[in-house]
Amino acid sequence: MAKGITPRTDSVRSPNALDATTGSPEAGPVPAGRRRQGGDLYRRMVARDFDANRSVTVLLVVLMMLSVLLAVASAGTLVRLTGAAGNLMTQADAPHVVQLHAGDYDQSAVDRWAGERPDVVAQQTMLMLGIDGANLFFDDVPQTTNIQQNALVVPNTERDLLLDLDNQPITDVAPGTIVLPVIYQVEAGLEVGGTVRITAEDGFEKEFTIAGFARDSIMNPAITSSKRLAVSAADLEEVRAHTGSVEHLISFWLADPDAQTGEFEKAYQDSDLPQAGQLVDSAAFRMFTMIGDGLVAAVVILVAVLLLGVGLLCLRFSFLTAAEQDYREIGVLKAIGVAPRDVKRIYLTKYALLAGLASVLGLLGGWALTPLLTRSITRYMGSAPSVGNWLIPILAALVVFAMLVLFVVVLLRRLDKVSAVTALSAGATGRQSSASRLRLHRSRMPVHLRLGIMDVVGRLTTYLLLFLVFVISTFIMIVPVNSATTANALEFINYMGTGAVDLRIDLRYTDDTSADQFARALDRLSADPDAATITPMVTTRNDTVDKDGNTISLYVENGDHALLPPLYAEGRAPTDSSEIALSLLALNQAGRQVGDTLPVEVGGQTRDLSIVGSYQDITNGGKTAKASLTTDADDVMWYMIGVELAPGADPTDKAAEYTDRLAPAKVADIEQWRIQTLGPIAGQIAITAGASAIVAVALAMLMTALFTRMLLARDAGPIAVQRAIGADDSGLRGQYLTRILLVLVGGVIVGTLAANTLGEGLFNLMFEAMFGGFETLGQGTSRIDFAVNPLLAYVALPAALIGAVAAAAVASSRSISATSISTLTTE
Amino acid sequence: MTTATTTTGTILDAQALTKAFAGHSVLHGVDLQVHDGEFISVMGPSGSGKSTLLYNISGMDTMTSGDVSFAGQHLAELSQKQLARLRLTTMGFIFQHVHLLKNLCLLDNVVLPAYLAGLEPRETINERAMGLMERTGVAELAHRDVSEASGGQLQRVGICRALINRPRILFGDEPTGALDSTAASEIMDILGELSAEGTTIMLVTHDAGVAARTNRVLYMVDGRIVGDREQGRYTGEGLDQRHADVARWLLER
Repeated sequence: MAKGITPRTDSVRSPNALDATTGSPEAGPVPAGRRRQGGDLYRRMVARDFDANRSVTVLLVVLMMLSVLLAVASAGTLVRLTGAAGNLMTQADAPHVVQLHAGDYDQSAVDRWAGERPDVVAQQTMLMLGIDGANLFFDDVPQTTNIQQNALVVPNTERDLLLDLDNQPITDVAPGTIVLPVIYQVEAGLEVGGTVRITAEDGFEKEFTIAGFARDSIMNPAITSSKRLAVSAADLEEVRAHTGSVEHLISFWLADPDAQTGEFEKAYQDSDLPQAGQLVDSAAFRMFTMIGDGLVAAVVILVAVLLLGVGLLCLRFSFLTAAEQDYREIGVLKAIGVAPRDVKRIYLTKYALLAGLASVLGLLGGWALTPLLTRSITRYMGSAPSVGNWLIPILAALVVFAMLVLFVVVLLRRLDKVSAVTALSAGATGRQSSASRLRLHRSRMPVHLRLGIMDVVGRLTTYLLLFLVFVISTFIMIVPVNSATTANALEFINYMGTGAVDLRIDLRYTDDTSADQFARALDRLSADPDAATITPMVTTRNDTVDKDGNTISLYVENGDHALLPPLYAEGRAPTDSSEIALSLLALNQAGRQVGDTLPVEVGGQTRDLSIVGSYQDITNGGKTAKASLTTDADDVMWYMIGVELAPGADPTDKAAEYTDRLAPAKVADIEQWRIQTLGPIAGQIAITAGASAIVAVALAMLMTALFTRMLLARDAGPIAVQRAIGADDSGLRGQYLTRILLVLVGGVIVGTLAANTLGEGLFNLMFEAMFGGFETLGQGTSRIDFAVNPLLAYVALPAALIGAVAAAAVASSRSISATSISTLTTE
Repeated sequence: MTTATTTTGTILDAQALTKAFAGHSVLHGVDLQVHDGEFISVMGPSGSGKSTLLYNISGMDTMTSGDVSFAGQHLAELSQKQLARLRLTTMGFIFQHVHLLKNLCLLDNVVLPAYLAGLEPRETINERAMGLMERTGVAELAHRDVSEASGGQLQRVGICRALINRPRILFGDEPTGALDSTAASEIMDILGELSAEGTTIMLVTHDAGVAARTNRVLYMVDGRIVGDREQGRYTGEGLDQRHADVARWLLER
């Protein structure tokens, strides 16, 4: 029986084995002098090994480096994000609870109430002068399509400070100048020296020069819809005399915010204090602030973890290949009595050196990449210098390094099983590969194609590594892209608690005149032939109970929900006043299911409403409801009118027209509303998606190159045999291309399936964490279906991956020509 | 000793063939003619260049200088692809360690070269492969794995693979070197039959017993052919005498 094929590497390497005898000729403890000699020997062996397998070694180092790099970059991003967010809140002395109030305001009542409460450390009220978009011009551009509620303020001097770009408090703004929120510098490209003009119906006009940009600890990000524009006290009074709606920002600082916030909020809502507006606490500010960059960090962490998995698999493959090549030498070393520990040390030294090199390079690369990932954090929140910024990434690199080395230690246990006799007699190939169950002589396929398929089927475990790499590459390519297309899709509006309409008109309840303004707006819209369908909704705040029996407030949107249906996750829209539909978060908070009843206080009486449906809502904190209750003016929070336009009417034009005619209601073309609310986040996801697609393709190419080379090294014998009997190089390359492409197609299919099931689940988990906090993770509070762009996700991206992998396989299999038939020579 | 006599046409003609590895010369200007139907053995001590000669005249390795023409084609003028095609369709190879592909069953190993050549319908190839395996006594092993046959059986399969494309010449590199004497003898019986039917065969061997069964023995030392003995066809009679003659001839070299 044939004893296998002896690769040429053996005859080249056998001197190593002889060298080894001089280094450590016997088992057991090695004397110090010999140990030093042995050390030299191992160094020489490792150096020789680097030389013999240079390209494989380089690729392995690159892969390990990439996983360290991403681990370092994501750790760096997270630590900077939390550090900067915390620092911003501390520097600005952000309030713990804030109540926005539109309408009459009596400071003395608030003072009295706060004075009696031991948990309140400080209270401060800021006047905000809301300027309508039509009256606000940035560099002469009217802000009619800007969905932010822009308000002039005089900056605070003690607490809730606005900070400049060096995170120093802005306490004084010179007359005639204005300090804008930093978002307008980043998103709108405004610059210092630019102009802001405010006009009024009465012909008043006031021009400000942009003196700088401010970071706002509570209203920084795009999804916080209010923005504070700082001016001098005199200028604010001057503008106020002509235009603007006054709102008050009533802020509280608590002694122990973590423990007291919930109780405090309940007490405030139960009091008679002003509360015509939203009540927000610091946990929400923090969440809003961190969502966008947190998402980026989450995706990078995901990619880093997957890359580490691939790195470990690859390390295993590389080790097994090397061990297989060295099989006979291991036998020789054992036969002459070298302790197994010393044999293992050779390999441990090699891989620890490689992992160490990769970790250092990855750490440096990660440090270089971090500023790119944290650019938006730095712009919006500044940077908080801290030891952690350096220490945590180093720790991340150390953890990855430790995992790599530990993995090698585990792998090395295999060497214990190599007996000297079997290693020597089995020759170079320690493993006996068995024949595939497929038969060549029963096939009609082209020979090389068939041989490629037979090899994959016969050695499935060998190809498992590559298969997993392709699955992972497909996954990290498609999931972020699908997330981006979903967040950018028109249908995403359905997850924002509303159905699709052309225009959305919002009117906040300020005082008794609000109801009249709402009625007037409805009349005007009914008279307009361009407004085909008009859906009025009145949102009230009603008391209900959570799953623990505590009384909580719920925003209930009342109206005819058949006209403006969101996408119901379960059940249907409420049709009469005994029914209610809850957002998934509200349902989870109430601890109820569709079909249960929910006690809701309506007009002073508690009624049990049956829950008939659930839907996704990421607006207003995500805890909302839909019903058709009587809307007592006392409870009204805001009005909304959805307008479906007649065919031919242009949404943008009509939005502008209604903005003029229906002031002070805010009119938004719904697409604009979605873009401005979610745009920055969607944009960040899109950039991350692009980056991870590139990483995925690069990873797949790298691994294909690595795998092909290792496969060729392993198959040197069989390749030589085929060449000897007359197979040409292009045919042999075809075999390897077939193998890789076969595995690739399988990987792409499984990866795509995983992306649309697991990936969708992952995306929803992300949303659950973002909007409901960690306690709602896995509770099904987010049920967003991927809005897949099939051409992109199922055609373009897989095609790009297949093309890239095929190119890598073809390029790497060129070295097939280097395999010499003389491998088979007996001389 | 008898001198080489031309039987029929010359199938292979090597002139001033040299081969060097890293500046070290292994073949020194070898001249050799192989005629149709000859059964040649190449002998010599280890390192004398026997296998190197075999691999260079068959186009598996690239000579350093000189000229080899096979069936009228100059190997040096052929591309790697053309050389591969030439090996595939006109030459057969038998190796000491057989070198069958382990992921194929024995029958698949036999049909592979013919499938690669793609000159005949696969049914025809399969039938001929089974015919060859029957003739060499391994037909019942056709669907077995490489690991399920003995060394002698594998070498018979190797011969079937070498013959599947009806080569004009069969090269063997120590085909009996890894076999026990019984198995080696059986292999030589098969090769003798093939030779008798007109197949041109050229073997590298260390074994004078093997050389005794061939009709021409070449002896190489240090990369040169230093002896060329024509001894007539072995007919199955007087093997011991032929063996003794070859051994004596070798001693004289």
